[in-house]
Amino acid sequence: MRLSLNSRISAITALLPALLVMLVVYIGATGWTVWMSLTNSRMLPNNNFVGLRQYEMLFGNDRWITSVHNIVIYGVLFVSLALSIGFLLAVAIDQRVRAEDTIRSIYLYPYSMSFVVTGLVWQWLLNPTLGIQHVLRSWGFEGATFDWIVRPETAIYCLVIAGVWQASGLVMAIMLAGLRGVDEEIWKATRVDGLPKWRVYVSIIIPMMGASFATAAVLLSTGVVRLYDLSVAMTNGGPGIASEVPAKFVMDHLFERANIGLATAAATTMLITVIAVVAPYFYWRTRKGEMR
Amino acid sequence: MKRTLFASVAIVAAACVSVPVSAEEMKAEVIHWWTSGGEAAAVRVFADQFTKAGGTWIDSAVAGAANARNAAISRTVAGNPPTAMQLNTGKQFDELVEGGLLADVDAVATEGNWKGVMPAAITAAATRNGKMYAVPINIHGQNWLWYNKAVLASVGADEPKTWNDAITILDKLKAEGKVIPLAFSGQKNWEQNLFNSVLIGVGGAQMWTGILGKRDASLARSAEFKAVAVTYKKLKDYVDAGAPGRNWNDATNLVIQGKAGMQIMGDWAKGEFIAAGKIADKDYGCTVLSNGSGGYVMGGDVFVFPKAKDPSVTKAQMTLARLMLTPETQIQFALKKGSIPVRSDVDTSALDACAQKGMRYVADKAQQMPSGDMLAPPAMIGALQDAISQYWNTNMSADEFSAKVAAVLKSQE
Amino acid sequence: MTAAAQPLPAARRSKRMTPARWGLYAFIFITALYFLLPLYVMVVTSLKPMAEIRQGNLLALPVAPSIDAWVKAWTSACTGLTCQGIKIGFLNSLRILVPSVVISILVGSLTGYALSLWRVRGGNILFGTMMVVAFIPYQVFIYPLVRVFSFTGLGQSLLTIVIIHTIFGLPTMTLLFRNYFASLPVELFKAARVDGAGFYQIYARIMMPMATPMIVVAVILQTTGIWNDFILGLVFAGRDNLPMTVQLNNIVNSTQGERAYNVDMAATLLTALLPLVVYFGSGRWFVRGIAAGAVKG
Repeated sequence: MRLSLNSRISAITALLPALLVMLVVYIGATGWTVWMSLTNSRMLPNNNFVGLRQYEMLFGNDRWITSVHNIVIYGVLFVSLALSIGFLLAVAIDQRVRAEDTIRSIYLYPYSMSFVVTGLVWQWLLNPTLGIQHVLRSWGFEGATFDWIVRPETAIYCLVIAGVWQASGLVMAIMLAGLRGVDEEIWKATRVDGLPKWRVYVSIIIPMMGASFATAAVLLSTGVVRLYDLSVAMTNGGPGIASEVPAKFVMDHLFERANIGLATAAATTMLITVIAVVAPYFYWRTRKGEMR
Repeated sequence: MKRTLFASVAIVAAACVSVPVSAEEMKAEVIHWWTSGGEAAAVRVFADQFTKAGGTWIDSAVAGAANARNAAISRTVAGNPPTAMQLNTGKQFDELVEGGLLADVDAVATEGNWKGVMPAAITAAATRNGKMYAVPINIHGQNWLWYNKAVLASVGADEPKTWNDAITILDKLKAEGKVIPLAFSGQKNWEQNLFNSVLIGVGGAQMWTGILGKRDASLARSAEFKAVAVTYKKLKDYVDAGAPGRNWNDATNLVIQGKAGMQIMGDWAKGEFIAAGKIADKDYGCTVLSNGSGGYVMGGDVFVFPKAKDPSVTKAQMTLARLMLTPETQIQFALKKGSIPVRSDVDTSALDACAQKGMRYVADKAQQMPSGDMLAPPAMIGALQDAISQYWNTNMSADEFSAKVAAVLKSQE
Repeated sequence: MTAAAQPLPAARRSKRMTPARWGLYAFIFITALYFLLPLYVMVVTSLKPMAEIRQGNLLALPVAPSIDAWVKAWTSACTGLTCQGIKIGFLNSLRILVPSVVISILVGSLTGYALSLWRVRGGNILFGTMMVVAFIPYQVFIYPLVRVFSFTGLGQSLLTIVIIHTIFGLPTMTLLFRNYFASLPVELFKAARVDGAGFYQIYARIMMPMATPMIVVAVILQTTGIWNDFILGLVFAGRDNLPMTVQLNNIVNSTQGERAYNVDMAATLLTALLPLVVYFGSGRWFVRGIAAGAVKG
């Protein structure tokens, strides 16, 4: 269909702000970040080129290696748990329960609060002498242990607990909408066929909701890569460096430790990793013809 | 003293006179991170004095030292700097001086004879290329030991003098099993603080300056350093299970309530004791441990002044610089903040017993120890912090730890 | 999938309480506990005096509940030399929020519209790049942006922070609207073109009115993000426009001073009230809105 010249120009001019922003801000700033990672900048940027030395230091840095290790564990657990729990919550609410508005709000409110203080609350709850372990013991369960947060091997799982708490409501909302979009006809048909409800969900509904899962997964993934507030507020990366995450590494070295060179090297590494994962996906989608 | 008095009077007089003449208000926007009640009261001392001198104090407080520094540096770099900004005494402003972004306060320093009344380490930390660029305003001791007198008395212990004494007492408390021997806040910076107090208390002054100042990697592999590391790790036995993540004031609270015996913490802990109505030398005691040539680790805060083109701004800056160091201001500030004055020639009678003890330590040249911040850049301190925290929290051996520290020292150019 | 949720057919009001129903309600009850637990601790702590909090009984109800901490947080908590609580930042937060939300949605929807319906060369590449950069922690961009804004003379101001929020919201907003418009029946668009409507006419008269649910979703996402933002407001808004989160940070985050946990909790709950109100108020639309567009991967 031929587009008139006028409209064509309008379309392009409408895209100009986005293009400008992308070039100047994102690509420009990213380019600066990559350049910085090749210098030995400390508190203020300088232009002393040092080649790949920052990257050498980065990959010899225990804290960075642990951060990467942690974010993979966190990412896999967080996304799968939030998706599953969010989906189950949506299914539960979709059963026409009473007080649906209240229940939905209960699941959604965590998303409205930033982690600075809610992280502290979770830290209290998971602390063995203050929180759940203490309460259980005071109720008589003498041997109850729930001290994951003070043990290096398990601290990262505590971040997952709090992260899932915050994000599941958002996933639930996305899933609920997807569920509500399923045609009534389909439900009628399954009732006629006499299929048990759980079969309906597994074999029919879930496959129809591929798009919901995809959207939720994308939103959750950006949250995983940018995870910072939670790590600071809940454990400050501790005990030791057991719950450090990459975004926190970048932030700490940018500001507190006045080491722009190392921080930007870390950020560039994160960027390259994301591109390596996202680009093939986009290529595949374009090939499939789904992106017009 | 007399010269300073005369100078301050002259300044006030001049300010009073100059205000109507120039018809330009002396404004000072100050970025700092003192946001809690007690800290704010201390800042108010400066603000009030500045107002008395005819100026207007515009307060830009940002909690979290890193946040405040970030805000101040962003502003400076963007060309819209604050009149004054707070930093810690040490190497944090090296690059600002190198970039020519700071105004020097040498004239005010000479006028006030600061070099004569402040500890050498402090003035050295504020000087670059022979000129003073920062105004040190207080001294915070970082390696104090605070203890609950009743708890120690219950095991028949006196105030410990050395780390060996302290460990004996901790053993007794642990055996008795009624209280937590060592109250501890398991966050990275306090883990480092505890290590530092063992480093100076067991390793001594040479070890301290050797590691942090000279960055002697071979010293990190010595037997003496290993002894420090082993002692440090031993302290973990006396710490309770709820320590990780705990805030420092919650740990102090344990000592205050008699649920724990002692705590290693800087002198800002005193504010908690005072707020709880406890009295120094009666309810609680304070001391600095040393196995030999130890010292009193002095940290503190300074204000720096970004270079301004407008002469009225420069005037405001120099006025601020002067009044922050007058003896009366120093005492008032110290009383509210819990630190000790940076000048040694002030009337200390109003200070409490622990602060007076601190003044005595500082007056002794052999005990004056510059803090890690004064000797090493933030990047190195941070790298050490990671290593120390790993050592404390995992079952890393003392040898591995020594190797890690040596690697950190070697990697600093 | 249809563009809007079907109205639910009138169902039998009361369902029989079968074992399955009991199980369902049990599941909802238990998960609700998990979600409500921190809120309970926050509220209960905010009603206790510090002496009681220090005793460490996290889940205990306050002995003598008092709203002192709430009053203090709002009106008299110290945030530096000023001790006026967080209320001083409230208006600033609003002044930042409203234009930022409006403009970021405007720009995002226009961009999404242009990318979805008009075949522009390189459009896919632009979109792809936007998706990639959405993953970068935004703090990395602070320093270069500070330089850019001071270079252009904009410095720190309300305009600057609004532009900044628009910039950082652009990828998500574009994603939402692009997918939504792409899911609408293409006949609509073709018919309008045949009628001779131009680019902006179609946008304003046809697409945006149909996108009401998506706009509400965008409002919610942006409101939460911008209202809770701290570091961008601190660096770019200028002294006179500091948002409430700066006061909140000053109350909650002191390094060497006392920590009044009850005031911290009260201040956080107060700060969260506005996004919560927005959630409650648009809960219905939120669900309907997401249904309409975001789900079309």
